[in-house]
Amino acid sequence: MKAIIILSALGLATMFVGVYNFKKALLPMILLGLLAVIGINTMEWNTNIHYYNDMLYFDNWAVSFTNLILAVSILVFLLSGQYFKKNTDHLEDNYSIIIFTIIGAILMVSYSNLAMLFIGIETLSISLYILAGSKKTSLASNEASLKYFLMGSFATGFLLFGIVLLYGASGTFHLHGIKDYVIENHASLPTIFYVGILLMMVGLAFKISIVPFHFWTADVYEGSPTLITAFMATVVKIAGFAAFLRLFFTCFSSITEHFVPILCILAVLTMFLGNITAVYQNNFKRMLAFSSISHAGYMLLAIIALKESSFIAILLYTAAYSVATITAFAVLLMIKAAHQENDSIDTFNGLAKRSPFMAFTLTIAMLSLAGIPITGGFFAKYYLFANTISAGYTWLVVLAVFNSAIGVYYYFKVIIAAYFKEGSEEKLSIFPAYQLVLIITAIATLLLGILPGLITEMM
Amino acid sequence: MIQNAWLIPLLPLIGFLILGLGNKFLTKSLSGIIASGTVLGSFIIAVTIFLGFLSGENKATTINLFDWINSGTLHISFSFLIDQLSMLMVLIITGVGFLIHVYSIGYMSHDEGFTRFFAYLNLFVFSMLLLVLGSNYVIMFIGWEGVGLCSYLLIGFWFKNQDYNDAAKKAFIMNRIGDLGFLLGIFLIYMTFGSVNYAEVFEGAKGFASGDSVLVVITLLLFIGAMGKSAQIPLYTWLPDAMAGPTPVSALIHAATMVTAGIYMIARSNVLYTLAPITQTIVLFVGLFTAFVAATIGLFQNDIKKVLAYSTVSQLGYMFVALGVGGYSSAMFHLTTHAFFKALLFLGAGSVIHAMSGEQDIRKMGGLKKYLPITYITFLLGTLAISGVPPFAGFFSKDEILALTIGPFSNIIFIVLSFTSVLTAIYMFRVFFLTFHSTFRGTEEQKHHLHESPATITIPLVILAILSTVGGFLGMPRIMSEHHFLSQYLAPIFEFSDLKSEAKAPSEFAEYTIIIVAVVVLALIVLWAMNRYIKKASVPPADDKQTPALRNLIYNKYYIDELYDAIIVAPINWFGKQFNNIIEIQMIDGFVNSIGKTVIWGGKTLRLVQTGAIGFYIFVMVAGIIAILLYNFIR
Amino acid sequence: MATANPIDYLPIIIQFIVAIGFVIFGMIGSHLLGPKKHSKVKDDSFECGIEAQGNARLPFNVKYFLTAILFVLFDVEVIFMYPWAVNFRDNLGNGTWFWEMILFVVFLMLGFLYIIKKGALDWD
Repeated sequence: MKAIIILSALGLATMFVGVYNFKKALLPMILLGLLAVIGINTMEWNTNIHYYNDMLYFDNWAVSFTNLILAVSILVFLLSGQYFKKNTDHLEDNYSIIIFTIIGAILMVSYSNLAMLFIGIETLSISLYILAGSKKTSLASNEASLKYFLMGSFATGFLLFGIVLLYGASGTFHLHGIKDYVIENHASLPTIFYVGILLMMVGLAFKISIVPFHFWTADVYEGSPTLITAFMATVVKIAGFAAFLRLFFTCFSSITEHFVPILCILAVLTMFLGNITAVYQNNFKRMLAFSSISHAGYMLLAIIALKESSFIAILLYTAAYSVATITAFAVLLMIKAAHQENDSIDTFNGLAKRSPFMAFTLTIAMLSLAGIPITGGFFAKYYLFANTISAGYTWLVVLAVFNSAIGVYYYFKVIIAAYFKEGSEEKLSIFPAYQLVLIITAIATLLLGILPGLITEMM
Repeated sequence: MIQNAWLIPLLPLIGFLILGLGNKFLTKSLSGIIASGTVLGSFIIAVTIFLGFLSGENKATTINLFDWINSGTLHISFSFLIDQLSMLMVLIITGVGFLIHVYSIGYMSHDEGFTRFFAYLNLFVFSMLLLVLGSNYVIMFIGWEGVGLCSYLLIGFWFKNQDYNDAAKKAFIMNRIGDLGFLLGIFLIYMTFGSVNYAEVFEGAKGFASGDSVLVVITLLLFIGAMGKSAQIPLYTWLPDAMAGPTPVSALIHAATMVTAGIYMIARSNVLYTLAPITQTIVLFVGLFTAFVAATIGLFQNDIKKVLAYSTVSQLGYMFVALGVGGYSSAMFHLTTHAFFKALLFLGAGSVIHAMSGEQDIRKMGGLKKYLPITYITFLLGTLAISGVPPFAGFFSKDEILALTIGPFSNIIFIVLSFTSVLTAIYMFRVFFLTFHSTFRGTEEQKHHLHESPATITIPLVILAILSTVGGFLGMPRIMSEHHFLSQYLAPIFEFSDLKSEAKAPSEFAEYTIIIVAVVVLALIVLWAMNRYIKKASVPPADDKQTPALRNLIYNKYYIDELYDAIIVAPINWFGKQFNNIIEIQMIDGFVNSIGKTVIWGGKTLRLVQTGAIGFYIFVMVAGIIAILLYNFIR
Repeated sequence: MATANPIDYLPIIIQFIVAIGFVIFGMIGSHLLGPKKHSKVKDDSFECGIEAQGNARLPFNVKYFLTAILFVLFDVEVIFMYPWAVNFRDNLGNGTWFWEMILFVVFLMLGFLYIIKKGALDWD
């Protein structure tokens, strides 16, 4: 909770520091602010406080997801300094909007009332619509923004309708109220309640790009400024899955038979479509977009399993996925900084010669995304699948493992390009901030793989 | 000392880190010393522990390094199991590995990627040690993936050649198919026994009835993993292609160690396999079939390394046969001797290739005896060992496996396996005579260049030749000695399986017969081969010559690669293309384009095309929502 | 109020009818009663003395929208102040009652300051 207040103040401060032309101070201030927020947020560990008539509930899950979001955001901000170097006109606006996006994300992981969920999703989404279009002179960026906005508002409609139907049936917005309602009327739940569940599912599925609500992903990822894509691909996924799981686990875990079959179908569709389409992408950003769709498919398994340990599974998976994704984008940004605007996988050709360090970190990230030991991605996948099997969905895991085998193909395409293909010989210099980010992400990826106990035991 | 066993895998890891990070700063000689030194260090530690086991001072010990995963009911500790079986493997890996490291210093001396090569080799040794030392299936799986990765990196080591990259990819993908089975097997083990630790799993398995369906499924899944890693039918085609890597890699990874990981895994899981007789039968026949088919393919190959590769596949088949009939210690025995003589043969072949400036075709060699005397003698010893000539190493181990197969399935296995053994001798002597005897058939330039290899290459050859000669005395048949060293050493590991399977030691008469027949048949083969390849100086026909249909079929490896291309690779490519064509291009693009045309017809700007696309997107979303709601109501 | 009957909503319906009725009455009344003098100048889109050209559906300068949106934004804040002002006297003794609105206004002013500094209200 304190995190939200401080972040709001930080967002306002950012706006004014920018307006009064202390642009050099912006980034240090934000980074220090975010670090402070992580510290303050961590102090809420084990306190389990309900805020404002149970509008927000900061349990340990909320605290840890908040910290994950903040940590990933710090990495994004570290990358941003160089990214906005040439264009500082609207620096403070971009920064403050990103901060407000983070606030939306934190609301999504800590809500205890459907109204707060809605506010969180909208704060997040509207900020992102703007950010997607923040490269004002780029047609692709404008298109991405408009597309995202149109489709996003459409999906929000369904989400809102779902909330209304749930309210209509149960007479409350509070998660615990709905849970009690479900338990009391277990045998005779009205139809509108089920429809409400399904519509909320649709609204949330859009945010985490589940097939067939995924269409925006590739276009928006490709069109948005690369840094924003990195932010979107990570923070939105974390918040979306945490929100999804929080709602369904708290409220509907006793009536799984009504939506789990549908989720199973969606998960299978998502995994297959994401992976198969990714195989044929030559644009790196589009490939990552489809890979993010396929990862959403895997993570949906945790929601299908719907157990307490699903939270750990999602936390680990989003952490491993986000860290690896940030690495991939950082390397892409670095190459683009030297190379002009080109997102093709061919830009990685010969990277091992141009910058062994970047090639190495990129390899770790790709191995993690592909789920090869000893990276974090492997363990996250392992934990997720084991969790799903113990819930009794072995067939889904078989399909998921099959899919991750397909995934190896296109992740290795990047590694092959970096190591085994001839490309430009010109050495790449690397900005210190990027180097820092790459070192942090590489260590984090390996740490998650070698010592996942650090996270699992804490929970 | 045994408590310090964790140093064994740590040293190569340190070597890898130093070489990997200091790639640019290290000189060639320094990186060679670091790489070999770390492996030698591991070997010395392993020897001391091994001696402890021999003297009975050491007992099987689990060394717990740290709790790796600990959440809910899932406990996986990062710990090593030091027992007789793992130490035997460690000795082979570090011992043969060290020799091959030394060999590589000479062999790779002209290569620009020298340090990178040694970094990969050290990483491989580390992963392999992890595989055999791990005390649970998850650690084994990590090592399993690690060696797969190193194999991939090393096959594609000369990455400028696209064929080599394809070979690397092929190896990786085929292995992934196997890994899928292994992974599912691990999941199932966890579900069934609630643990992945060997000790707990085997203890739990002893409570199951023999032939229980869960155990059958688990063992089958694990066997799929073994098929991929140990190149058994149908997943064997990657191994011959893997010869694209540098020859020391072929010797270390694709002959002596990595490919035997499947054997190790099944020997390690012997309790499970003994309790699943159905799987054992399948293992038996897959091994038998592989041994035979690979040996026939080996008959007509002209690439010296390909012959050895198919011979490796065939010998691995032997080991699976031994596993299939419950002769776990016999399989480990053959694994050990095979590591010696196959490493020797590969390194000898490498020495030949080195001298021939990269030429691998035996049709262009011949008469190398006088140019490469040391290589000649050591290669001869290796050939004698693999052909099973007494008293060389291969004779004892192969003889033991043959003796085990007398009896079950009305001796069919015995007959086929014996015949395969004859084939082995034929193709090995064929290679040997074509390479070293008769007259030189290469170019003048190559002839001028011929020379014996440097000491770093010949010394490992000599050591391995000695081992191939005396290695068989680790386990002599009963008629010669009461004391079977290896099976007594390994007895604690296979205690349960030995109890379960009724003792079926072959009769003395059978053993004598095998030995006498073997000697006579081998003598005949050697005479025949000498006649054909030295006296008549017959050389295999060039590739474009017409040959009989059967020979053609075998020469082309039964067209298995082409078959896989046709039934697996092509359909997947087809699906991918169809998805791309139909969904991406025809459906989405077609829809968007048709809207685009309509809109342009209306004279509007391009911007509206994009809203058209959104219309389609939203259309699909709504269709999805309707489908979901309908599904819910119909149900 | 235990249950709500449809009849309870009657006042709202009456209010709707009155509101719509007033509009219709006003429009029809002025149409019937007002004098009708047409001239070319009077029927123009804009009575600014310059002859109107082309269609009225032209792209406007975005500044118009910005100003309009900002106006609406600040105008809407009155919604929060009005109930506060109505209940002002009753709640005067309540500790933070006064300061809450001050805080709110400070935030509003910060926003105002921001748009001024950003130049959103500069016309040129």
